[in-house]
Amino acid sequence: MVISPVHYIALPLLAAFLMPLLAKVNRELVRIIPGVVLTYLLFVSVVLMQRVTETGQPIIETLAGWQAPWGINLVFSQFTGFLVSLMVFMATLIWIFSYRFKKVDNEPALKYYILFMMLVTGSVGVVLTGDIFNMFVFMEITAIASYSLTSFYRDRDGAEAGFKYLLIGSLASTFMLLAILLLYTQVGTLNMAMIAERMHTVPVGMKVTILILFLTGLGIEAEMFPLNGWAPDAYSQAPSPVGATFAALVVKAGVYSLIRVIFTLFDIQGAYQYLIIMGIITLIIAEFAAMKQTNLKRMLAYSSIGQMGFVLIAFGIGTKEAVFGALFLMFNHAIIKSLLFMSGSFFVYNSTSKDINGMSGIGKKFPYMGFLFSIGAFAIVGLPPFSGFWSKLYILIAAADESMLALVAIILLVSIVEIVYYFRVVAKLYFGKPTDKEVVHKPTFGGYFSMTVLAVVILLVGFYPDIITGFIHRAADTLLDKGAYISNVLSMGH
Amino acid sequence: MDPILYNKIISVGVYGSAIGLILIGLYAVLVKKHLTKIVIGLSIIDSGVHLLFIAVGFIKGGTAPIFSEKGIELVNQGTAMVDPVPQALVLTAIVIGFGVTAVALSLVIRLYRHHHTARIDHIKSLKW
Repeated sequence: MVISPVHYIALPLLAAFLMPLLAKVNRELVRIIPGVVLTYLLFVSVVLMQRVTETGQPIIETLAGWQAPWGINLVFSQFTGFLVSLMVFMATLIWIFSYRFKKVDNEPALKYYILFMMLVTGSVGVVLTGDIFNMFVFMEITAIASYSLTSFYRDRDGAEAGFKYLLIGSLASTFMLLAILLLYTQVGTLNMAMIAERMHTVPVGMKVTILILFLTGLGIEAEMFPLNGWAPDAYSQAPSPVGATFAALVVKAGVYSLIRVIFTLFDIQGAYQYLIIMGIITLIIAEFAAMKQTNLKRMLAYSSIGQMGFVLIAFGIGTKEAVFGALFLMFNHAIIKSLLFMSGSFFVYNSTSKDINGMSGIGKKFPYMGFLFSIGAFAIVGLPPFSGFWSKLYILIAAADESMLALVAIILLVSIVEIVYYFRVVAKLYFGKPTDKEVVHKPTFGGYFSMTVLAVVILLVGFYPDIITGFIHRAADTLLDKGAYISNVLSMGH
Repeated sequence: MDPILYNKIISVGVYGSAIGLILIGLYAVLVKKHLTKIVIGLSIIDSGVHLLFIAVGFIKGGTAPIFSEKGIELVNQGTAMVDPVPQALVLTAIVIGFGVTAVALSLVIRLYRHHHTARIDHIKSLKW
């Protein structure tokens, strides 16, 4: 079998639809199949990343034999390849973490794994596709899987969070559909490279209208203010591995689509300032809201929104260093926030309430979990020698290079807020008075394994950032080189 | 009737009803308190957008975009084909809209069973 980017989309989708049948053959297959698919995709990622790095050329896959501007194509470049590999890596770890999910009951486990595979298909597809309408379709696959996963538990307020998410999400998808329609009437094509090439013929007023519709539609998944009302509820009501999935896959796909639309499709200077301003508002509001939260998962959700604001700021600065910092931060956010959600979920299980106060002294009874959570907390606020330090440093340097000193000041001030609310939790874990409650829910072996891997990655990247910076540098170069993207995709037809 | 005027009336009618549908749907989503009415609003908005898509791809007197002997013959005689792309997009969008509506309604049922009400202002476990 020839390895190609199509496998990223075809295999998880096939697995998702075959699983109900396979469940009839053997109950255990439901849990094994997603792992087999994801491990294979990890192998595909390694092979394709190596090929792309060696040749320096993106792999462009045309589907159903239709060449570039007419058919749908998949673009596996150093930028999209980096994001896809990150997503698949995270999905594999989340699968290991949730291998024993709903052990006693097979029916919910089946539903969970089907939706999980759909989510992987959708968010990987958003990143790989080179067609704007196809991106919309993958966005909707991701969204529908997310709505269902949010409302997975019947006994919580999941349905309410899910409905809220659905309401915002489907309005957003309508806006995106309108944007695609207007764009199609203006440029007469749906291929993103072709759109980028013909964009200069579109009148400015029309361009701005389309861009605003796109930003509204895509800002939802990217957790951009003021479209992120769904996030805290969804993160706190969804099952814990799903919280990690949102942080590692769904939000990354949202940010990717936003960046692709602004950087490749449109060439409006004001869009970058808009990103900075929205990023600052998102960052400040989210971090202050996080400080006020008493519920651990809601706090982590707001912190996640804040991090995305930070990513938007970095992309908005727009220089090569800033884009490098932003991609580095996206990588860090995926690994660190997943670790926090995974380890935090065990504190929530074992405490009297979901509140941070209920976790008093749990770090003493649960030393390894407390240690992992602390690594995550230290890493996300940007303490050296953890990986979060480097991304924050690179973004600050990039902002200072552009002499945006006010921005540097805001980022540093908000970092203090971040330190306050994360250290409050860590202090509670270790120095709080232990409650009488026994530790009943211990992580499974898979849980320990995936959390340990994440912690090791955080430390490894913290000490030797060079192992990852090469990939991120090339990814940033590829993203900024719009001309190469257009010529690579369109030359396939000639 | 004057054909130009006729075309104008038709296009104003089609685009007007598309935008009208979108506005009606938005009104339902933003103002109505009943969950089912909100879901109906969402699907009315969808219908408006779909109508807009079809209107954009339409050419008056154009033939169906099918690559058949009859179609090729008609094109050779100078008949235009309507744009097939918006039609394909609409087909996809309808399916997606159907999926979203189904998920939304199932959530409404879950909410109703949980809270014994379908009014959005009576469901307040989370902050809205």
